[in-house]
Amino acid sequence: MPRLTARERREGYQREYAFQQRHGKPFFPHVVFHDTIVSLIVVALIMGITVLWYAQFGAIPTDPMAERTGGLLGPAYEAKADPGVLGYHPQPDWYFFFLFELLRIFKTPQLLIVGTIIIPTIWMVLLIGWPFIDRNPDRRLSRRPIALSIGVMVPIVLLTLTFYGSKVPAEGGVASTEPGAAAFAAGACSTCHVLANAGTAGNVGPVLDEAKPDYATALALITNGQGSMPSFKATYTEDEISCLAGYVATWSAAVGTTPGPGAATAKDYPASCEKAGGIFAGTPSSAAGP
Amino acid sequence: MSTLLPPPKELAMLPVDWVEERSGAISFGKFMLFRNVPKDISWLQTLGSALITVFILQATTGIILAMYYQPTPETAWMTIQWITNEATLGWLVRGMHKWGSSVMVVLLFLHMGRTFLFGAYKYPREMTWITGAIIFILVMGMSFTGYLLVFDERAYWATIVGVNINGTAPILGPALSYILMVGPEIGTHTLSRFYSLHMLVLPSAIGGLIFLHMLLVVRLGVTSPPWSRMEPTERDV
Repeated sequence: MPRLTARERREGYQREYAFQQRHGKPFFPHVVFHDTIVSLIVVALIMGITVLWYAQFGAIPTDPMAERTGGLLGPAYEAKADPGVLGYHPQPDWYFFFLFELLRIFKTPQLLIVGTIIIPTIWMVLLIGWPFIDRNPDRRLSRRPIALSIGVMVPIVLLTLTFYGSKVPAEGGVASTEPGAAAFAAGACSTCHVLANAGTAGNVGPVLDEAKPDYATALALITNGQGSMPSFKATYTEDEISCLAGYVATWSAAVGTTPGPGAATAKDYPASCEKAGGIFAGTPSSAAGP
Repeated sequence: MSTLLPPPKELAMLPVDWVEERSGAISFGKFMLFRNVPKDISWLQTLGSALITVFILQATTGIILAMYYQPTPETAWMTIQWITNEATLGWLVRGMHKWGSSVMVVLLFLHMGRTFLFGAYKYPREMTWITGAIIFILVMGMSFTGYLLVFDERAYWATIVGVNINGTAPILGPALSYILMVGPEIGTHTLSRFYSLHMLVLPSAIGGLIFLHMLLVVRLGVTSPPWSRMEPTERDV
């Protein structure tokens, strides 16, 4: 397709515009009719989904602080936000699933920025700048093979990412009885991390069995968060964080080697777990435990 | 006597003429209604107007919600609960606002896809595409800021992850996170900041851009489909 000169381009548009003025149809009633019908359908659709959403709610809970459950279309609301709650599932609204999935793909700390910043920024630049990238003056799809393939590919990629992003963490195995294991499996950690000893299969953050953080690293990460990982200062006490860090350091190091303490840095593990008590306490296996 | 007052028909037109003479609103309305558009546009070109309808719906339901909602950590979740369970048709207003946002994102994709496939962003309509693309990004911002306002478990943790994602950006990231949350953690001021962004900053920006977008559409004329031929209609024969 030969490039048009600026003048040819302008005159082509002016010819088309003049033709449209002379031979077009008036906005009212033709366009107004179509627009009204579609708008009514859209509003009816929104109302319809809302009614279905309402119909699948459970009864108003007697406990004033409880979640009001729902079915397929989700609850009316979950329990009130509380940073002190152990378990959490940071699931975004469906239109951010693609971003959530990118987080899972680029989960190591070094690559994280690719998923969180670099790819979304490139997408936004391409989106806004698209008219300047596609310089082909033809509008017929048969003459726009590159644009057509991009136009088909982008929705496929986005839909795929959205589909995989919508999947909740896979069911893991059974947690061991080691101190800290039950807390790790029941708490926020399991949503994002794989740790064989706790039987968790969360696939958002790094696989701890491979990352094998030492005690100091784990302690700093749980306390302050990093990248997309939240800080759990407000959720856990100091003993609880120390217990989790010790547990992670010890049992991620144990993977792939002979079972036993691999992280000598976790000095006060499992003592901190006993001090934290409750779900954090456990029964260390005498054979393999530290 | 009768010469003092014009005949009834003219009398009725007096206020209309008064407005027309001072603003041109009547002739502008006539122009908008009876301007010609390409003869072969049809259902595929209705998505933009459907989006304006959803925008108006979101604004209306949002205004009603704002009458009851209180953006503090203590009251946000309680007022959402009250709107859903107690207020007359509160569930309908909140539900339509919630699901309206999903429908809006889907319609935005379809509208953009149609524009893309028809090549309607090409000369001289580049600016129309750019304003639309910015509207799209701002609508995603609306979704993000609106999600926290329910202040339930999911909203809280998803927002932390979202803000942390911003925080991974080089140089500006940590500052951006801090500005969004008004501190290192989600607190009282985070909610009111998100609320202010969600109901004042972003909607007015989107509204302004929609106005520009439509101004450009009217000025440049609606794009005819790519298969359209410039052939005379029966009327010319």
